[in-house]
Amino acid sequence: MAWLAVALYVAFLLFPVGHALFLSLTDRRMLFNEYDFIGLDNYRALPGDSRLVASLQFSLTVVVSVTLASNVLGIAFAVLLNRPTPAFRLMRTLVFIPQVLSGVIVGFMWQTILAPNGILNVTLVDLGLVDQPVNWLGDSTLATIAICFVVSWTTIAFTTVIYSAGLQAIPTELYEAAKIDGANRIQAFTRITFPMLASALTISVTLSLIITLKLYDVIVVLTGGGPANSTRSTAFHLVWVAFEQGRAGQASAVAMLLLAITAVVAYLTTSLLRRREVRL
Amino acid sequence: MQKNQFTRRFATGQTDRKGRKWPMVLAFLLLILGACSSDGDTDAGAEPDTEADVEAEDDSEDEDSTDVEESDDEAEEATTDEAVELTFLTFETPALGVEFWDASIGAALDSVEGVEIERLITPDADRTGYAKQLQSSGQFPDLLSSIDAKEFTDAGLLEPFDQDWLNENFIIPDASTIDGETYIPPTNAQILPLVYYNKTIFEENDIALPTTWDEFLTTVGELKAAGVVPIEMAGLEAWSASMPIVALASADVLGQDADWVSKRYAGDVAFGDEAFVAAMQKHRDLIELGAYSDNALSTDFPTANANFLAGDSGMYIMGSWFTGTGYMALDIAETFGAFPLPTDDGSLVVPFNVGGTTSVSAASDHVDKALEFAKAWSVAPASMAILVQEDGAIPLMKGVSVSDFDVTVSSLYNEIFDLALDEDNTKVSAFGWVGNEDSLAPGIADLFYVLAQSLFENDDIESQLIQLDTDWDAAVG
Repeated sequence: MAWLAVALYVAFLLFPVGHALFLSLTDRRMLFNEYDFIGLDNYRALPGDSRLVASLQFSLTVVVSVTLASNVLGIAFAVLLNRPTPAFRLMRTLVFIPQVLSGVIVGFMWQTILAPNGILNVTLVDLGLVDQPVNWLGDSTLATIAICFVVSWTTIAFTTVIYSAGLQAIPTELYEAAKIDGANRIQAFTRITFPMLASALTISVTLSLIITLKLYDVIVVLTGGGPANSTRSTAFHLVWVAFEQGRAGQASAVAMLLLAITAVVAYLTTSLLRRREVRL
Repeated sequence: MQKNQFTRRFATGQTDRKGRKWPMVLAFLLLILGACSSDGDTDAGAEPDTEADVEAEDDSEDEDSTDVEESDDEAEEATTDEAVELTFLTFETPALGVEFWDASIGAALDSVEGVEIERLITPDADRTGYAKQLQSSGQFPDLLSSIDAKEFTDAGLLEPFDQDWLNENFIIPDASTIDGETYIPPTNAQILPLVYYNKTIFEENDIALPTTWDEFLTTVGELKAAGVVPIEMAGLEAWSASMPIVALASADVLGQDADWVSKRYAGDVAFGDEAFVAAMQKHRDLIELGAYSDNALSTDFPTANANFLAGDSGMYIMGSWFTGTGYMALDIAETFGAFPLPTDDGSLVVPFNVGGTTSVSAASDHVDKALEFAKAWSVAPASMAILVQEDGAIPLMKGVSVSDFDVTVSSLYNEIFDLALDEDNTKVSAFGWVGNEDSLAPGIADLFYVLAQSLFENDDIESQLIQLDTDWDAAVG
């Protein structure tokens, strides 16, 4: 059966990646069959592509913000919901719902909430907290914050579940011993809970990074990359180069770059956090 | 010491009863994540949709309406055996919905035997982008509606219409030519855009219609002083946000040099040139004057339409489709007027987009049948009647006038119709919208539209236009 596994791996992972790598070395255009081998020209063009650089900057902002928010709040929610009663078990299930929703649904839902006449603005105006509707999606800074918020809203769901699972694996004897030693809640968290969540932290942070690095669907629906291209992620830029400009070779080079960034970030994060696990 | 033991047990999977649960939870999570990721990409239109997928996304009520067959049962029976199925990429707008496509396809099929149509629907307004996605995955439709033909002709993907048929049927048979061939029948035209104004607001505030750019700026100030938003803007989506700069580029750039786009292809002019920068500066001037609402960039097209029609704003820069009953009810149309965006010297420049709907894939297995259907669709009165009434289209078919379609149009439509046929004004291609020789390089129209948004936050016009030149050069290779 090992050969089957290898065959599937080659067919469904190595071949597509290899094909994209090959395309990235050509000047292939989407609508044309003919192409020439151009070596590393597509890669040489990457640093000078200001739209790509802007998309990387935006992606970096989202990756850092979402990873921080979803892990800090994920731990917080997990601790708050870590009670053995049926009500809390139900709440732990409910908290996972945003992660089950398609990115398109999430984007559409929040688009209706954040629109100028959406429920958030109507509420803010009715409560007298603002005079005019806030331009959540029409201002580049606010739109970036909105995307970070919405993506965090979905990723917090799975980080909460991961940390909840991690919390349940911590033996209660540790807390009992700490209590006898006079430790307060904060000390119990910093000395027992957080260190014991090391493995969960590794998985959660790595997955958060990977998910946000390839972010596309929520952005398409929520802002369409606007206003003024200010919320175009690298994946969004890739699709634009491929299907709007029709530059399949260049788009493949962007795809390879994104793949490399994701792999390096995932490897470095995992290595660092694993080292921390060992130290603990 | 005890902590380290537990850490190792996590790593080796030798956990206690509670600990054994969570790797399973993680495995489940990963499965869910994989499934969600796949769904999201498909829903977002990254992968080509089947008709079923498109229907699922489409919020139309009639799910069965995408398969349109001949209404004549007898004819259908007679042709079932040899009938060929053609895929037809269509789009839907508030004015051109399911009923329009069913009626127009049905009418065309009445005169074409042995054809069945499977209708595909674009997931958003970007027909050309979606057609490229379909092409790249081997699903290029047999027929395509209202795409930017120029992006496909270089690759030989479209079949031209014969000149005799064009000459026989259309008032301006060469209006949509690309390298001497026509790939979309020039059935109708739109003026794109016009400045619509609320007559009541103008009268109540004693505001005169502007005829020059300076007067237009004065009008903006007067409307602002009257407490209304001077210019409504549907800025959330780039295509609708683009209307002011489409008007400016058409009037100030193409109005001065009708061959500007051809020269751009040849490298003789550039976006970063003084003339183009000056035209875009006017949009920035309007922004700085407070001509648009603070929420302009988060206002979508339907909301902007509603705001303007409700009297929340004094003017609205939009295409002539806005005169159709699909957007503006007949009983309120009289309270609105329209004029082309004024130029510096007051000369009348009308951005014109002669177009049609149907293009035919040269790679179709049934090119002849597809051409036959496309021709029938283009001249079918049912197609044009709805386009005229609902979408404000100006018909350009020989020997046919608006009255022949048995439609009810507004006085505003008639006003614009006269403007379109008036030979005393200067007509230029609607910049970034036309599908003829003046069509922009692949992907550039989209970037040009976005400029209308970016000028709100970035006043460095020249550098943005130089970037557009860089994008152009990359796009044309």
